[in-house]
Amino acid sequence: MENLDYLKSALDSHPELQYEIIEQYWTTDFLRFYHSQTNYNISKEVTSLDATIYKGKKSFSFMLDNANSQTIDNAVQDALSIIDKLPEDPYFVDLENDKTLAKPREVKNNIEVVPLKLKTEVLARIATAVAPYNFDIFGSFVCNYQKYRLVNSNGLDKISVSSPYYLEVKAVHNKSQVTVVEAFGGEDFQYFQERNFIEQLLQKIGFCSHDIVDIEPGTYDVILAPRCLGEFAQYLAYGMSARALDQHTSFFEGKLNQKVFPEWVSICDDPEDPDMIHKDYGSNGHIYRYLSLIDQGIFRNFMCDNYYSHKTGLPKNGNTGSCLKIEKGDKTLDELIGSIKYGLFISSLHYMNFINPKETSITGLTRDGTFLIEDGKITKVVNNLRFTEKVARIFDHIQALENRSHPVPFSGNYAIFDVETVKSPHALVKDFNISSSTKTI
Amino acid sequence: MEQIIKQTIQKLSLPEITFADVRITRTDNEFIAFQNGYLRAYGTNLDSIALGIRVLINGCWGFAGTRDLSNNSINKAINTAISNARYGSIFQKNKVEFPPLSPVQAEYEHHPEQDPFKMAKEEKIDYLQRLAEAIKPQGKIVHSVVYAMFMRQEKYYTNSEGTYSHSTYYNTLPMMEVLASDGAQVQSRTWPGHMGAGRAGFELFHKHKFEENTERIIKEATDLLSAPTIEEDKADIIIGSGHLALQLHESVGHATEADRIFGMEISYAGKTFIKPEMIGTFPYASPVVNIFSDSTDPRGMGYHPVDDEGVPGKKVDIIKNGILVNQQTSRQIAHLLGLEPSSNMKASYGDDFPLVRMTNFCLAPGEGTLDQLIADTEHGYLLDFTKTWSIDDNRNNFQFTTEIGYRIEKGKIVGIVKEPTYYGITKEFWNSCDRVCGPEEWDYQSTFNCGKGEPGQSMQLSHGVAPARFRNIDVRVKI
Repeated sequence: MENLDYLKSALDSHPELQYEIIEQYWTTDFLRFYHSQTNYNISKEVTSLDATIYKGKKSFSFMLDNANSQTIDNAVQDALSIIDKLPEDPYFVDLENDKTLAKPREVKNNIEVVPLKLKTEVLARIATAVAPYNFDIFGSFVCNYQKYRLVNSNGLDKISVSSPYYLEVKAVHNKSQVTVVEAFGGEDFQYFQERNFIEQLLQKIGFCSHDIVDIEPGTYDVILAPRCLGEFAQYLAYGMSARALDQHTSFFEGKLNQKVFPEWVSICDDPEDPDMIHKDYGSNGHIYRYLSLIDQGIFRNFMCDNYYSHKTGLPKNGNTGSCLKIEKGDKTLDELIGSIKYGLFISSLHYMNFINPKETSITGLTRDGTFLIEDGKITKVVNNLRFTEKVARIFDHIQALENRSHPVPFSGNYAIFDVETVKSPHALVKDFNISSSTKTI
Repeated sequence: MEQIIKQTIQKLSLPEITFADVRITRTDNEFIAFQNGYLRAYGTNLDSIALGIRVLINGCWGFAGTRDLSNNSINKAINTAISNARYGSIFQKNKVEFPPLSPVQAEYEHHPEQDPFKMAKEEKIDYLQRLAEAIKPQGKIVHSVVYAMFMRQEKYYTNSEGTYSHSTYYNTLPMMEVLASDGAQVQSRTWPGHMGAGRAGFELFHKHKFEENTERIIKEATDLLSAPTIEEDKADIIIGSGHLALQLHESVGHATEADRIFGMEISYAGKTFIKPEMIGTFPYASPVVNIFSDSTDPRGMGYHPVDDEGVPGKKVDIIKNGILVNQQTSRQIAHLLGLEPSSNMKASYGDDFPLVRMTNFCLAPGEGTLDQLIADTEHGYLLDFTKTWSIDDNRNNFQFTTEIGYRIEKGKIVGIVKEPTYYGITKEFWNSCDRVCGPEEWDYQSTFNCGKGEPGQSMQLSHGVAPARFRNIDVRVKI
């Protein structure tokens, strides 16, 4: 983190400037496997220095990979030579000023805790367990280690270290291609119970022996698995951001403190839950804390960073929806399934996109295990299906929730591979709109 | 750089390594974003250097990437790549193998008409600010964005077979968007759409006639607020080039990436409905449809003299007169399928692992202009400017919504419809294509944002297309 100090020192010599600097070290050990064997293992490390310099309401940003004093000097010179000539952003008021520090945490480097040799041994055992059922395993087993330091000219100086791991196994039948998925992620590898993981995978494989059928488009009562409800919550949360509100694309515009869903629906952003992957800081270094989003069906808060707080007048909280949690209900999973006369169990979703974010209309598909429920029992495997729905309507149509919540890891596979968790129960949703069938598994 | 890459490949000349390659990229990125008429972000990431080392040991790939080109860092990456291959091979049933290729030496440098990295920053800002001013909130327009990304990448590649390549190119992504609202609903219009990038410099803004289209997108976004939706169940549709590029991309391009046949992408991007036995016989499309992969055309962003595992650029027919005849492959996968490698292995940056990727993936032109095709259509819709896209795990069932549809009656455009949505099954859809417009309408449409792989890579690639007509398509989706 010497480069950050060097840059900070250079910028401190210009009292007319404000600045935010983030230095990030990120490394990954990324094993991809297919057909119960290694595809490849990638090790990769990146050190980047990201700075935004403000002069009044004018700003310029630069990012440097693997910086040194020479490249930093050049970048600062470049920024200073242009910043006076840039137009202003009248909505910029000030940088983040929340100096609250997160509680120190011991973070083990999971790249060292779970070396490649151990990963291949775990995978070999999983592959052996599913082989008698004529299934192969596909997926990825990832360990990251990342260190982040943010400073700004308002005196913030925050360091965060994390090391999530993520195992996603898809078991695919070698003949029918019927697929089921099991995933586990977290920060402490001791919580990974290999036997439980294999048992849960085998339990899902057990459902795959049923016949494969197709169904007609129409509305169905469905059980959404935790990863599905969690993913819908992530899409719903888009509209809970002050940014979406400012851009007139928020479903929740004009709905603050109004009842939007049934009273048994509560959603929060909770980094303190021990089952979730922790997050120390949110946008611009603001402390990341519990935030109620939907409380017993009532919309309570927009997630708001420093910039949009100044622009919209909403209170800032720095939350980004990285630790979404949906409150559990009072039914067992068997009771939820048992209550359906003719419907679907949906395990996982694929390739969703908003049609109109303001209306929360969306299309996407099911995958990795869609099952028919008849008279309260799972009876058939169903081809992957397309749904066209409104996310808000899905939450409005929740009839009941399971009495336990499950942490579900999600991979954030963008500029860098990151892992977040959502915690959700299974949900019974009525009148879920299946718009067409893929006619394939 | 040349010296570093050649020294590194020499260090990989070890008995246990049956194949190795090394890539270095030096990349400049610049982005500018105006929002509602004001400069919201302007930034650079210049001289970003990345190195990747890939080795094949015991029939297993190992890879390591770094952005530090010091000796210590490169030596560490070499040891890590070797270790990754050794330990990876513990969990392996079938060894990776492929025949050798003759070494190639290649050099290429692209020169844009207006080098965005040599232009004064003020000049770029002034131009974009004028656009931002023209589309800032007014009337029913409540939000607007003008956006530009410029990229220059210099790439060095070498492998243990003696191939060496050095290339430099520029890509640009220009975009503007307005959002209209009547208080109850919002509608958007972009220009030139989501496939408006290109192998070019700043001149791309002028090619796309941004200034001439600001009023058009304001009017169309506003008019969409009161426009009807499509009411019939099925209709003939003409798909404009910007959106047809995405239709081609999703339902043919990704479907014919042959790593998907073997499940190598199941964990993220998905599979394909294609099976090896379908190559050479499968009636993928109607006979008017010809589709090819062409990394030899420097007009597209998919051009390369040599791909990222040493295969020289190639033009390969994928669908010939409607029949599936080939796949996009790596050397490993081509060998498994009994095909010649198609020169489709690409990585976004030096420290990314190469994957089977589209390059310039093109629909061959037919004949006639778009005006002639509209005039030849009794009743239907011209759809363009992608709004929503989605396709299933097997690249079989797709559903797209465009920003706008132009209703055609008796050969003339007579009105617009909002959020036109159509869906279908890949084979049925491409077999319903009865006409593709001619060379006068054919051009490259390009994107910066094709996601694949884990850790994720965003690839820049192109599609050569001309508008085409599809008969009797499902256009009614109940929400």
